[in-house]
Amino acid sequence: MVQDFLTVIVGGEAGHGVKKSGNVISILMNELGRYVFEMDDYQSLIRGGHNFSVVSSSTSPVYSHYMSADIIVCLDKRSVDIHKDRLKDGGTLVYNADTVTLDSGTGLPMKTWIKDIKGIPLMAGTIGVAAVSALCGVEFSFLERIFKANYPRGLEANVELARMVYERMKDDEGKFELATAETPPGHLLAGNEAIALGAAAAGLDVYIAYPMTPASTVLHYLAALSKKLGIAVVHPETEIAVVNMALGSAYAGARTAVGSSGGGFALMHEAFSLAGMSETPLMVILASRPGPSTGVPTYTGQGDLDFALNVGHGEFPRIVLSPSGTNQAFEKAAELLNLVWKFQVPGILLTEKHLGESWMTTIIDPESVKVTKPILYDGPLEQYGRYEKTDSGISPMLYPPAKGTVVKASSYEHDQKGITTEEAGKIEEMQEKRYRKEKAIVEEMRDLLTITTHGEGSTSLVTYGSTTLSALEAVKNVDDVKVVQVIYLRPFPDWALWEALSDSEVIVAELSVSGQFENLLRSEGFDVSAHIRQYDGRAFDPPELAARVREAIQ
Amino acid sequence: MNLETYAENTWCKGCGNFGLLNSFKDAVSELVEEGALRAENMVISSGIGCHGKTVDYLNLNSFYSLHGRAISCVSGMKIANPNLTVVAFQGDGDAFGEGIAHVVFSAKRNIDATLLVHDNSVYGLTTGQFTPTSEKGFKGKSTPRGSIEEPMNPLALVLASGGTFVARGFVGKRKHLVGLFKKALLHKGFSFVNVLQPCVTFNNTYSRYRESTYILEDEGHDATDFQAAWGKARETERIPIGLLYQVERPTFNDLLLEGLVPAEPRAPPLSAISEIISER
Repeated sequence: MVQDFLTVIVGGEAGHGVKKSGNVISILMNELGRYVFEMDDYQSLIRGGHNFSVVSSSTSPVYSHYMSADIIVCLDKRSVDIHKDRLKDGGTLVYNADTVTLDSGTGLPMKTWIKDIKGIPLMAGTIGVAAVSALCGVEFSFLERIFKANYPRGLEANVELARMVYERMKDDEGKFELATAETPPGHLLAGNEAIALGAAAAGLDVYIAYPMTPASTVLHYLAALSKKLGIAVVHPETEIAVVNMALGSAYAGARTAVGSSGGGFALMHEAFSLAGMSETPLMVILASRPGPSTGVPTYTGQGDLDFALNVGHGEFPRIVLSPSGTNQAFEKAAELLNLVWKFQVPGILLTEKHLGESWMTTIIDPESVKVTKPILYDGPLEQYGRYEKTDSGISPMLYPPAKGTVVKASSYEHDQKGITTEEAGKIEEMQEKRYRKEKAIVEEMRDLLTITTHGEGSTSLVTYGSTTLSALEAVKNVDDVKVVQVIYLRPFPDWALWEALSDSEVIVAELSVSGQFENLLRSEGFDVSAHIRQYDGRAFDPPELAARVREAIQ
Repeated sequence: MNLETYAENTWCKGCGNFGLLNSFKDAVSELVEEGALRAENMVISSGIGCHGKTVDYLNLNSFYSLHGRAISCVSGMKIANPNLTVVAFQGDGDAFGEGIAHVVFSAKRNIDATLLVHDNSVYGLTTGQFTPTSEKGFKGKSTPRGSIEEPMNPLALVLASGGTFVARGFVGKRKHLVGLFKKALLHKGFSFVNVLQPCVTFNNTYSRYRESTYILEDEGHDATDFQAAWGKARETERIPIGLLYQVERPTFNDLLLEGLVPAEPRAPPLSAISEIISER
């Protein structure tokens, strides 16, 4: 019987090539014409411990991974203990027969085989990929082609191992007959990659960051591509240096972004206000992690919403938005870079590990991205003032060198030319000028996609960020519920949300213990009839979330 | 050339900052007249404190930055546009307290920027606390019984960090200071000038500096000799002023950018992005 939806879990120690095997399985599924969502669960350690990858795929879009699997590949004993109960009825458990003996499932002597061909421990993952491939009835030559493209080193040994797997698993070959399509539905990208490319498409010139999971992969990705994209990528001494360099860079006319997680962004706090005061465009990628302080670095959570909305001393306008999947991450990263330059404000792209580090089938067109030019000064140079008063609050920009005038930016309260002032009237004038931009941003947002609505129903499951992905999967199995995603969080698009929520009950789902998103909705005047919260560092499992939605409706 | 602005100068009468500001104006004017510098290409930045007001008093492109961050701010400008000539003014508390990491790393990476430190060994604008360079025993508002810490040595710090231009000046020797500033502005790489600059209100060191400073150039110091520079940096009885050390080393911005000028308008790399995506 042809099966459409399939979930595979591969588990093992760090160093077993778990993530790589997840990636290659994803690529295989994509090549078979299937949509993919891959979640990699890993601990903050280099060797040992327990890592696993979950790949859910189907011929129609898959928005998030499932924790119940059709195939579970365990490269060590611990993986068996952790994952064996997640096997669905009729599923297959593949295990490392050198480290564990089981009554059921398929035991493969992984360690022995690797030793026999003088391979390395990382190749356990290869055996996992081959086992999944055999179970799904993938022709060996097809698998070989995938291997060629993805294992530049040790290709022969990997192919040899795959052959041994196919030989041993002959009886189970094709146990899962998968629905396929002629061509791959899209390309596989992780959220952080999509964010990086979206910003690049909108003309990102400089990226500056200090490593901090789960934002680091933006830095790694752009550093690796810096030549190809023509982007200067810098990793300085501290997050404080990062953001102050970024402001200097933007002042000099380069479209600049920075990225970090909560702790690192906390260090940028002071200069975030400087961006507000000096009206310097600044794009911040804030990849939050669960828990305060160091928290749980490699897991997912949404506890930084209040932080993102309120960061900064003093009052100044800013933009905060949070995309869900990779397609939207690409578009909104480009949009945010354009907006911060149009309005000369700081902006935060709030995200989580669940988006940033998960691989998804992505369908984007870079050519669709337009660069919005900032408002540049073209009047008589001798009259130029960096902070000229305007109705919109936006003062036309100039970058040095500008022969015939000077460009003066300031952290101190200043007059229209950028010279320090402490005069009451001028302080008031500048505060009002900056604040007027808030209104201008809201006007602009009326033409933008600020919320999305999926499906129809008398109940709305309201979410933001990558929790939207879990919700989209969950409601596939709940009647009369639509998913409403809030993309823009500040300024808050209340006009769009009123329309989307008209006459419906509201259930809020978020990864927060205190319900920050729910509180935001309430503060904007929306009634919330029930909430679903999770704060264990994991994304919602769609069936579990579906059950909680059903419970909330009753 | 006119480097004046309409900002009212609010420094105390006799403040050492005047000597530094005027020396800098002279240095810039002379270099512009000599055709060695273009005023419109210059961007200055300052931190917070009395020295911070420098940006208001100079009719040059400027970014009034935060406490300790001016050197990071101008480093970013240099990365965005290597054609700019960037200068950071910082106080001693600003540079060696709050911002010390940025000074150390700017020297380490040899970013092509100039850092001029207004070193008066006291926090003036916050009304007289000790700073990283205050003498042991210095009685300030936060150390009423006298500082119990050894003072920091800015020259040794920057030398040890890899600075390629390390100098000390004194506002009481104006002509000499102008010469140092000119050399610093022309140096390709990280240039550091620690300027002894008395605070007449909270730490008036004019007479001490007048008595104990001597000019290195008068004594045949070899500025290419690191060991000699290291020795001079550690002299305390007599205080050497002048150029301690200068070498050429590839700059961070040149190595990073390899000819790219990020701030120059260009079309986004859409075809490269399409290619990157299609490879996956």
